[in-house]
Amino acid sequence: MPNKGNFILNLYPSTKFMLPLFVTISIFLVPSYLFAYMMLPLCIAIALIAGVAKQFLNLIVKGLLLLVLFIFIIQSVIAPGEEIIWSWGIISIKEEGVMLSLTLTSRIVAIASAFLLFFRITSIRDISQALEKVGMSPKFSYAILATFQFIPEISKRSKVIMDAQKARGVETEGSLLTRTKAFVPVLGPLVLSSIANTEERAITLETRAFSTKGKKTSLHKLHKTKTDMSIQILVIIFIIFLAVGRVMIWN
Amino acid sequence: MKRGLMHDFTLLAILLIPVGVALNFVSSQVVQLLKLPIHFDVIGTVVVSMIAGPWVGATTGLATNLITSLTNPTSLFFAPVSISVGLLIGYLSKFGMFKRLWTTIVSGIAITIAAVVIGSPISVMVFGGATGKSIDTVTGVFLASTQDIWTSVFSSSILINSVDKILSVLIAYFIVKKMSDRYLSKMNYGDSFIQEKRNKYAVNKKQIAK
Repeated sequence: MPNKGNFILNLYPSTKFMLPLFVTISIFLVPSYLFAYMMLPLCIAIALIAGVAKQFLNLIVKGLLLLVLFIFIIQSVIAPGEEIIWSWGIISIKEEGVMLSLTLTSRIVAIASAFLLFFRITSIRDISQALEKVGMSPKFSYAILATFQFIPEISKRSKVIMDAQKARGVETEGSLLTRTKAFVPVLGPLVLSSIANTEERAITLETRAFSTKGKKTSLHKLHKTKTDMSIQILVIIFIIFLAVGRVMIWN
Repeated sequence: MKRGLMHDFTLLAILLIPVGVALNFVSSQVVQLLKLPIHFDVIGTVVVSMIAGPWVGATTGLATNLITSLTNPTSLFFAPVSISVGLLIGYLSKFGMFKRLWTTIVSGIAITIAAVVIGSPISVMVFGGATGKSIDTVTGVFLASTQDIWTSVFSSSILINSVDKILSVLIAYFIVKKMSDRYLSKMNYGDSFIQEKRNKYAVNKKQIAK
């Protein structure tokens, strides 16, 4: 595997996947919101070591802050309860509502930050290669990689088509109805040209023996090391340990 | 043509998945450029499901939500909605529901119901009613007047989804109707769209003969 110059980035994809797996299982095993909130600092620490902390925090703030705020507002307004902490007019914040929203948001923040971090530190190429090794069809790993190529390409083409339609006199500004009407002349040619493109792509792939049966080779190599194995085993043992502990407390 | 889970994933159908995902993304970008108050984030899924069937459509929906969750993690929880939209459109297309305009509108209503019935419980149980999108303000308005989370989430979801999904299905229908017969004949579920075109052509021919 090419060296990415960092211990965490160099790990095998399935080892990195242990992080979201561990977080998702453990927060349901340990029923305290403090534990679930501890997952965010854990993820930030891993992001710091991997050197992606800035992008990671940016995504967390953009994707989660507003959501958590909304949950707090909605829950504290509607949840029934006696212990009123603060009230203003008909709006009153109750202790039960705050507790409920703490539990809800802690789980969402934990799961979301673990998955965000996983996709930050693992390249899509690595994921598809690892899945192919487990037994996924190479056709699907091509589809995954092609998707990431297509999005910027089609986005660029949509702007070209929009300019072309504007030049032909299609109105893209004005009342709501006018703007809605402009949607079809932009999207129609975009879909039809992309579809025509897939036919050409299919022919090109077939000439390179894409659907022949047999073992495919890859230029992109992935290797599992001993560190990967030991980290995976450690995490699984830890999860089992937590599960056993939970069952013991229950009884 | 053989249909079903094992036969639907032809090479052309697999190549259609990335196009569908990219269309979902780009159509919501175009919506932002045109400053429209709608999402339109299922058009790609609908187009793919119409011509390539329920399973390819469901894969497109799942892939869209997975890729969106790279930047917006909440969409991961709403993957069942996209999958159900793909499956439902695929089966409706299999039974020829997109041959006429009014059956297409009925299909759009069916998709709306599916999206509301599957999406609202996820929104309430996982996020306590919030989604982190603009729809939350509508939910908030309903919440202030009814004080009941289920009623408000359902009402706001019906309000937003009905316009969004029915228009998406209609636009997808018009686009698929414009596809060439040569291409549609290669797709497993494309024949219901070809049939109608041929009839139209026959009528035109008669008129010319007169």
